[in-house]
Order: sequence, then structure tokens, then C-alpha cells
Amino acid sequence: MGRYLIGRFIKWVPSAVIVLFLVYALAFYGAGDPIKLIFLRAPGDVVWSPEQIEALREEAGLDRPFLIQFGDYFWHLLQGNLGNSIISNRPVIDIISAAAPISIQIGLAATAIMAIIGIPLGVLAGLYQNSWLDNVTVGFALFVWAIPVYVAGPLLLVLLVLVLKIMQVPYGWDGLFSTKAIIPVVVLALAPLALVIRQTRVAVIDVISEDYIRTAYAKGIPQYVVVYRHILRPVLTPVITTLGLIMITMINGAILVETVFGIPGLGYLTVNSIIEVDYPVILAITLIGTFLVMASNLLVDLVYPILDPRAAKAEVEEVG
Amino acid sequence: MSSSPQAFNEVLPEGLEGHEPTSLWRDAFDRLKANKLAVFGFIIVVVLLLVAILGPFITPYDFLSQDLSQRNQSSSAAHLLGTDDLGRDVLSRVIYGARTATIVAFSVTAVSLLIGVSLGAIAGYSGGRVDSAIVWIIDLTMSIPILLLAVVINVSLKTPVTYWMDDMYLKTHNPIYRETIWVDFALVFGALALIMWPPYARLIRGQILSIRNENYVLAARALGFSNRRILFRHILPNGLGPVIVLASAGLGQAMILESAFSFLGIGVRPPIPSWGNMISDGLRVWRNYPHLLAAPAVVLGIITVAFSFLGDGLNDALNPKGWR
Repeated sequence: MGRYLIGRFIKWVPSAVIVLFLVYALAFYGAGDPIKLIFLRAPGDVVWSPEQIEALREEAGLDRPFLIQFGDYFWHLLQGNLGNSIISNRPVIDIISAAAPISIQIGLAATAIMAIIGIPLGVLAGLYQNSWLDNVTVGFALFVWAIPVYVAGPLLLVLLVLVLKIMQVPYGWDGLFSTKAIIPVVVLALAPLALVIRQTRVAVIDVISEDYIRTAYAKGIPQYVVVYRHILRPVLTPVITTLGLIMITMINGAILVETVFGIPGLGYLTVNSIIEVDYPVILAITLIGTFLVMASNLLVDLVYPILDPRAAKAEVEEVG
Repeated sequence: MSSSPQAFNEVLPEGLEGHEPTSLWRDAFDRLKANKLAVFGFIIVVVLLLVAILGPFITPYDFLSQDLSQRNQSSSAAHLLGTDDLGRDVLSRVIYGARTATIVAFSVTAVSLLIGVSLGAIAGYSGGRVDSAIVWIIDLTMSIPILLLAVVINVSLKTPVTYWMDDMYLKTHNPIYRETIWVDFALVFGALALIMWPPYARLIRGQILSIRNENYVLAARALGFSNRRILFRHILPNGLGPVIVLASAGLGQAMILESAFSFLGIGVRPPIPSWGNMISDGLRVWRNYPHLLAAPAVVLGIITVAFSFLGDGLNDALNPKGWR
């Protein structure tokens, strides 16, 4: 078991470093010189001499070779320093730690909705495969999986605010427990919800044909006990395996949902820094996003053997 | 996009037209026809393609022509979906949006299929280190939030490309370097194709590895059939199904991503209409003029749902051993 965990972690570290390297290289060779970007957007027609610019670049260490700069960035990153924003000159880490809690709250609330509604719906649809309940659930899942959040969000706005007139315009952020947060959270939960429903349903259909389930029924165990004790655990394993994909869906969704509803979280920050080409911030957010997905995948790898001990055994034997 | 057996015959080599369509495709077609949601999706997608192709002939107005005396009108006989803040006909813009979405979706899917199929085939055939390297790249790419990665690629490429274009214009004075519309398109294609190939590569690699050792392929080989015959008559028809399913899902996804890019302001920029930038514009004025938001949003919603239904139906039809 310990060997399995260590093996997984060792496999994971180089991937994380290489993603960091690639994104940094894209920023380095693509976005161009940050000093130049700063001058391009400096107000007024102040003309700076090339010597002055060169001096500034030297001071910031931007005249050094790419690899040294990357090493520098990496070293600072390990110490929790992500550089300064080009636009506001504030430390990127401050900007991000101001925005992150909001996104985390929305994300966790959406995750709760996803699990509380998605897993029972998926189990029911799977248990009564091809019934009307199953058809409606599968249709619903397909539907919400397909609808982009910047379609669902605006249409809900028009419906609830203009047509039904049951709510004020939910724009901005007053904390998670205000009415403004309801629509954004629900909209964000839709796509992951579809994912969980489908995954749970397929897993249930797989499991109910197992011999031990038939045995359990044959022994006269009531259905809810069979579901709770015998079906749910093997079903949760494949659902938890999709955590990485759920995380990707959530991050994509958050960028768009926060833009639609003007919520000052990480997604909103992303879009703003794209528009202003604030590279240090874009870089940091991409790293955080990638890190979150990789960490979810790592978490899945780590939790998997606990849920399904056969996997760990097989893996250790395979590794040798 | 057609799923009829006739269309599939075009994929098969010469000498097969005279035969009855293989029962695999006939079965698949029958299963698809039985799925009402998939038929609905199929019809919508066909309508979309027709609208996109016929665009200039069926739009009531030019998508750029402004009529400032007719601003922000709601639906009327002259303007079925009303007009926007510059007095442009919304219906015409939605139709041109279909063109934008379709061009992007097909180009991106074609390019990412090309990359994915080549890399997947290389990985599957060569095995060993090449295989592990490609698989590693696939896993890596798939573990990055795609919207973020595409955004980084798009923004990173935009600056050098713009500089290069300015440079070339100063050197050559060729007006083509003044045109930025195709650069927008190219950057969107590039960024999306670079993030969308891994699923295809993974699929093709898996297909090659699994089908190569299937009993019917081994039997065909034992009977002394040529490689070409085995490839086209045995491997291709059996391996094609999942690729079609994935590509149809990919078309829908590319369309969604294009509109997401345009919605965020980094994709296709106004005045070229895209449903994404129309939704983004509509969000600014939706309280007073909800039709400007609703028209592109509803159309985009219907299209994405149609692709989803069609993809699911194709999946059931072509993967009879699948999950349903």
C-alpha cells in the first residue's frame, strides 16, 4: 500500500513540473517582454530611452537566459511567490487569495448539489433501467450536459427576472448564503451533475447483474438495504474516478459563470487578466487550475486502493 | 454527418459498392432510427449545416448593414428576431453565426482528427518508448483544464502573430497582412485543435492495439488475405464506429468552445457574428432588450443539445456492446 502511494506520487511530480515549464515557455516566448507590455499601456506619450528600458529589464532580471529565469520563477514559486501583476503591480498571490475563497465556496456548493442530487438520481435510473424514470433522467442528463453555462445562465435570468419576475437581478457577490448566489451555483452544478448521473447509472447497471446482489435479494434482504450496503460502495468507486474530469468541468464552468454573473472569483479574474494580457496572473491561474486537476487525479489514485483493494494489489504486482 | 449505409460506402474501398451494405451499418442505422432523440438531433444538425452553407442566400439582410432608425426593435414582420443596438437584423446575424460556428467546428475537428489519428496510429503501431511518450503527452494534455490551456495558447500566440503581421505589412505593403479576421479564426482553430486531439489519439491507439489481435483479424490473416483487404474490410469498419461517435461529439464541443472563446472576447471578434459574442453583447442590455440575449442563446442551446442527442444515439447505434 505504502509503496503504491509513493509510486503514484513519484509519477506525478515530473508531470506537474513539465506543465509548469510549458506554460512558462508559452508566456515567455508568446506574450513578450513584460517591461514592453508595461510601456505599451503607460498613460501619456512619455518617451523612454532604450537605455532606461534596458536598465529596468536588467533590474528585473529579464535580460537573463530563459532557463535561468524559469529556474528563478520555479524557486520563487516553491516559496509561494508568484510575482507581481503587470497591471496593478500588486503581488499575484494577494490578488489570487482575495478571489479564491469566493470560487471555492461556489465550487463546494455546486459539488454538494451534484452529489446530493446526482448520485440518488443515477442509482434510481440504474435500478429501474429503461423505465420512464430512467429515460427522463438520461434525457435530463444529456440536456444539461450539452447546454453551455453562458446559455443556461442568461436564459434563467430572462426567465426568472423578466418573465416570472420572482427575483432581482443577481449580479455581484454578497456571500454564499444570499439569494444572488442561487442561480450561479445551480448553473455551475449542471454539467458535473450530468456527469455524475451518467457515471452512477452505468455503474449501478454493471453491479446489479453481479452474483452477490442476486444472492442478497435471494436471502430476502430488503431492497433499500441491498442498495445501501451492497450496491452503493462499488458504485461510488467509478464515480470518484471521474473526479479529475469533474474538476475540469467545474473550472471551465466557473470561468464562464463568474463572467455571466459578475462574481469576483478566480474565473472573473481569469477573464479580466486575459483581456488586459496580465501575464503573471494568467500564468498563476493556469498553474492553479492544472494543479487542481492533477491533484484530483492523484487523490483518485490514492483513494482508489482503499475503495477497491484489488487495484492496489494488481498495481504493485505490475510494478514488480 | 450522414449515418446512412450509403454514406459509409464512400468510406469503403472500390469493389464494395455492388455489395449489400454490411449488416453492421444496417443494424446501426436501424438502431439510430429507433432513437427519437437522436433523430431529432440529426434533423437539427442537418438544418444547421444547410443554413450555414446557404447563409448568404437565405439571410433577409446583410449581417453588417445598419439602420439606425430601426435600433433595438423587438420581433416584427420585417425583422423576425428584431434588431440590435446598431439596427442590424438579428436573424441575419444568427444565421451568419451558424456559418462561423460550422466553419470553426469542422476545421477544428478535421485538424484535431488528423493530429490525433496520426499520433495514435504511431503510438499503436510502434509501441515501446514512442508509445509511452505519446501516451504520456496525451495524459498530460488531458489533465489541464482545456479552457485555460486554450486561452493561454490563444493569448500567447496572438502577440507574436500580430507583430509579425505588422512587420510583413511594412515590408511588403500587401493588404492581406492588414486583414485580421482570418488571424482570429486561425488562432481559434490552432488553440482548439491543440487541445482537442488527445481523445482521438487515445481512441485510435486503443483500437489498433485491440483489433489487431481480434480472432476475426487473425483468421483473415491465416486465410492469406492481403493487408489492404484486412485493413479496409475488417479493421476499418470495426474501428470506425467509435471514431464517428467521438468526432460527432467533437464537432459539438468545438462549436461550444468557439462560442465560449467569442463570449470571453478572445475568439471571433465583432463585427463578424458569432453566437458567443452575440450572447456577450446581449448580456449588457438584456434587461431592456432580452431578445438580443435570448435569440443567440436559444439557438446555441438547441444546437448543442442536438449534437448531444445525436452523439448519444450514434454511440448506442455503433457500440451495441456499449453501456446502454
